[in-house]
Amino acid sequence: MPPIKPPSLPFTALAVGLVGACGVLVGCQPASRSPSGSPTLTLGAVVALTGNASLIGQDQRVGLELAEAEFGGRAPALTLRLEDGGSDEQTATTAFRRLLQQPVVALVGPSLSQQAFAVDPIADRAGVPVLGASNTAIGIPEIGPFVSRISAPVSRVAPLSIQAAKRLNPKLKRVAVFFAQDDAYSTSETKIFQKSIQGLGLKLVTVQRTSTADIDFQKPIADTLQTKPDLIVISALPNDGGNLVRQLREMGYTGLIAAGNGMNSPNIYSVCQRYCDGLLIAQAYSPETQTAVNRRFVQRYQQQHGDTAPPQFTAQAYAALQVIHEALSRLDRQESLKRLSPNLVSKAQKLQIQPPKGQALVSMPLPDLRRALNTVLLQGTYDTPLGEIRFTPEGEVIQKDFYVARVKMDASGKTGRFALLPNPSPTQP
Amino acid sequence: METGLLVQMLLGSLLGLSVYLPLRCGQLSLATPGFYAIGGTVAALLSTRVPALGISDATYPLTSVMLEMLLAALLTGVLALGLGRVVLRLRGIYLAIATIALVEILRVVTLNLEFTGGALGIFGIPQPFSGPEGYAALTFVVLAVVCWLCDRLEKTRPGRAMAAIRDDELAAASQGINTADTKLMAFVLSALVAGVTGVVAAHFLNSWNAKLGNFDASITTLAFVVFGGSRTWLGPVFGGLLLTALPELLRPVGDLRLIVFGAVILVGPLFFPQGLITPELFQTLRRRMGRSAAPSPQGGRP
Amino acid sequence: MEGLLQLLFNGLSVGAVYALFALGYTLVFSVLGVINFAHGAIFTLGAYFTYFLIGGAVGANGLMAGLQLPFSLPFWLALPLAGLGAAAVALVGERIAFRPLRDRGSDPLQALITSLGAGVILVNLIQLLVGAESYSIPVGTLEALPVALSIAGAKVRTVQVLLLVIAGLLLVALSIWIDGSRSGKALQAVSEDPVTAQLLGINSGRMIQIAFGISGFLAGVAGGLVGLSVSIAGPYFGIGYGLKGLGVLVLGGLGSVPGAVLGGLIIGLAEACVPSHLSGYKDAVAFGFLFLMLLIRPQGLLGRPLAEKV
Repeated sequence: MPPIKPPSLPFTALAVGLVGACGVLVGCQPASRSPSGSPTLTLGAVVALTGNASLIGQDQRVGLELAEAEFGGRAPALTLRLEDGGSDEQTATTAFRRLLQQPVVALVGPSLSQQAFAVDPIADRAGVPVLGASNTAIGIPEIGPFVSRISAPVSRVAPLSIQAAKRLNPKLKRVAVFFAQDDAYSTSETKIFQKSIQGLGLKLVTVQRTSTADIDFQKPIADTLQTKPDLIVISALPNDGGNLVRQLREMGYTGLIAAGNGMNSPNIYSVCQRYCDGLLIAQAYSPETQTAVNRRFVQRYQQQHGDTAPPQFTAQAYAALQVIHEALSRLDRQESLKRLSPNLVSKAQKLQIQPPKGQALVSMPLPDLRRALNTVLLQGTYDTPLGEIRFTPEGEVIQKDFYVARVKMDASGKTGRFALLPNPSPTQP
Repeated sequence: METGLLVQMLLGSLLGLSVYLPLRCGQLSLATPGFYAIGGTVAALLSTRVPALGISDATYPLTSVMLEMLLAALLTGVLALGLGRVVLRLRGIYLAIATIALVEILRVVTLNLEFTGGALGIFGIPQPFSGPEGYAALTFVVLAVVCWLCDRLEKTRPGRAMAAIRDDELAAASQGINTADTKLMAFVLSALVAGVTGVVAAHFLNSWNAKLGNFDASITTLAFVVFGGSRTWLGPVFGGLLLTALPELLRPVGDLRLIVFGAVILVGPLFFPQGLITPELFQTLRRRMGRSAAPSPQGGRP
Repeated sequence: MEGLLQLLFNGLSVGAVYALFALGYTLVFSVLGVINFAHGAIFTLGAYFTYFLIGGAVGANGLMAGLQLPFSLPFWLALPLAGLGAAAVALVGERIAFRPLRDRGSDPLQALITSLGAGVILVNLIQLLVGAESYSIPVGTLEALPVALSIAGAKVRTVQVLLLVIAGLLLVALSIWIDGSRSGKALQAVSEDPVTAQLLGINSGRMIQIAFGISGFLAGVAGGLVGLSVSIAGPYFGIGYGLKGLGVLVLGGLGSVPGAVLGGLIIGLAEACVPSHLSGYKDAVAFGFLFLMLLIRPQGLLGRPLAEKV
């Protein structure tokens, strides 16, 4: 047993230095602010800021912070508490439990559907509303009465791009399917894709399973090209899917490619570059929608991020906070009126006196407030950057518009845009 | 501290002990996440697909959880008995990589099979407790039992045989120790602990999927043991508690959380080359205290 | 024949990436007998360095958002420079995560943990500085070459052939250095027995530094090259290869440099042989193969028989 030498001076210095540097950086971070004087409600959010899903969380954080800046100061004042949910179930669980110990009115998140199945039941049992902003797998709203989502399930969005491909090439017959088998979203989506391919009378020539960690697709591409497809349908995430598109084109495939909603992100531009051109993408959010709400959202996003279009995850996260804020302010009006005696109400209405905003909610017992918020949330109709949305009583989102876009890359091949196809989506029953 | 985090810390300790058991006789097996995944899958399948166990009850009966544990232990034990005979001929890094290969094969197969739910996994696992306190109690009891077993093991003949094999396998064999059987016993025990831990974790996490037993988990659990110390069972217990809690305790540093965490596991071994807890540490402590106090199984500081 | 050629191309295309990754990975193992878990992070750094040296800009996230170097180098110049940058980081890593343990006679397993810690720091530092989004080296970088080669009806992307050729060249250069130079022989002596080597007047510490430097350079160049073929998928880009890379190392023979390249190609070919309808089991096939190999011939294809290291 060698004697344990004390660590040498440089390393003690290094350790102290590291810790010190961290302390300084932390100290410099802005403290959470609250609108002066007025009572503030807290909204918790759990997104993946670390781990391999951090690309999603990064986009979501931008959307949540934009929405907080816009709605947080309006009555009833709302403060956002953001926690890192990591990319695994355990980290998301502690993040959720941590926020549930705070007086949060509701939670937004987590980033991945697998995480949602692990953590949403905890919030549901605690009677705290959870609004999923990116969970698209089948079965999420069914977790419990307090669980709802703003991200449209795969079954709605997916078939549209195949219909669009059929319109672009009516002679279309042979379809090859790729999907990332280790991604919950992609495995759900591909089932819908395959069903709708068969429903349209097309021939499914091959199904290739890939993994989100794959980067070289030479083999599945070579196998697929032998089956001579005239449409290739991909369910994957931006990075692996983008590389797949690039390699398909480089290997000489010239037919149509339709990608699922998982690839609806400007992040694909840098991955498949000029080869993204012509890609058909099913969208639950289109930055090109010309509504007042969306134009304002895009403008605010561009003030921070330059001349780029906001990703779907950012728009959905923004919409999630917006929906909760609108529901709270509706609840605030209801509660304030309830407290006044009936004849006072009519008098107040006649004199156009407004009760102080936000007061009623802050004085409500938290469990009642959460329950009431959940009820009000599911009843409303909201005008968001995603278009008009409402909820079913179970908490499933009913989104009015879905889109199919065709990627149009600029001459440099570095960036592009999702040009909406002229034919608007048929409104779902 | 938050009780849910405590449960995860206790589960971490159990996984640490599962890696520690074969390491005690010098076998670097990283099969723990594989057996953990099997245990979790058994619990997830039984509790959601066998109505007789009580999925429709208001709270899932604890006896059903016990039954799942028993079945998971049986399955992982039998598997480990078969696999152990094959893989334990390998040593050192080769054994480590062979076991990693097995874990990876298991992950891919789970991902491809229909009944394990593919990438989405199995969800809606029923709850035997209404809150994390129940889980903390259950995990604590399981951990206490395993700690007690390890403690007995270290003080009795098979345990001393394990230590002898770790120090010098040839010398141990020449002293009449059946090295193959001793190593196999440690491997099977390790699998049992991981399998039972998986059952608790599946209920605690409400859902189970293929990602929960992957390469990252292998490395993390190994870190518990190496960081905590691999010469006494208290090492992995403490390592598991600390390394599971650390990223969570670092939440106040925000975006720097994992950078600081990395710095800690980088610097830790420089200060504690044999791990945080070593038998020598006990001896020193005992001498200082003037009496031999048994370490508390809770895994706090002795 | 055409099918067989295509199969070969498919295997070599994936195998080239594995071989490139494993080259530097195996060098540190051969000298120290420990697995360097930070290797994947160094590989990632090499890819990012290449991207920035050719004039790429940082995206909208991270502390360095929008920054860009004031110059842009041609790819062929940027790549070796990125390799040097990665080598510098690898040397710092050796100084912090490996040498103190050696000086103190620690349990060799501790190096797994310290290198893991170094990897965690690097990955999260990258994310903090430049965000989690993907970056790409422009596809036009190899403008002079055709995008894909077509031989007798079988197709392969040119860039993958290029990766394979460069992996081969690096292997030859490394072998010439190890077998033909004084310092290379000294390195072999250190990897056989560091204590005896020290007694023979070889500065073991210096040789280990050299091994780390070369390993880091190889990792950096490999990262840049793979980044040319596919996008840089965020801070976890290289980490994903840590696992496959281990398989490649063991298959070829732990510590054997030619073995690492051979192992990479064989795993690539094994994956390419999995029929289409079983494509989901591709990774299991690679590891199943590895598992069998370990049982039949634990020292790997080109490894030396004993090597009882961790």
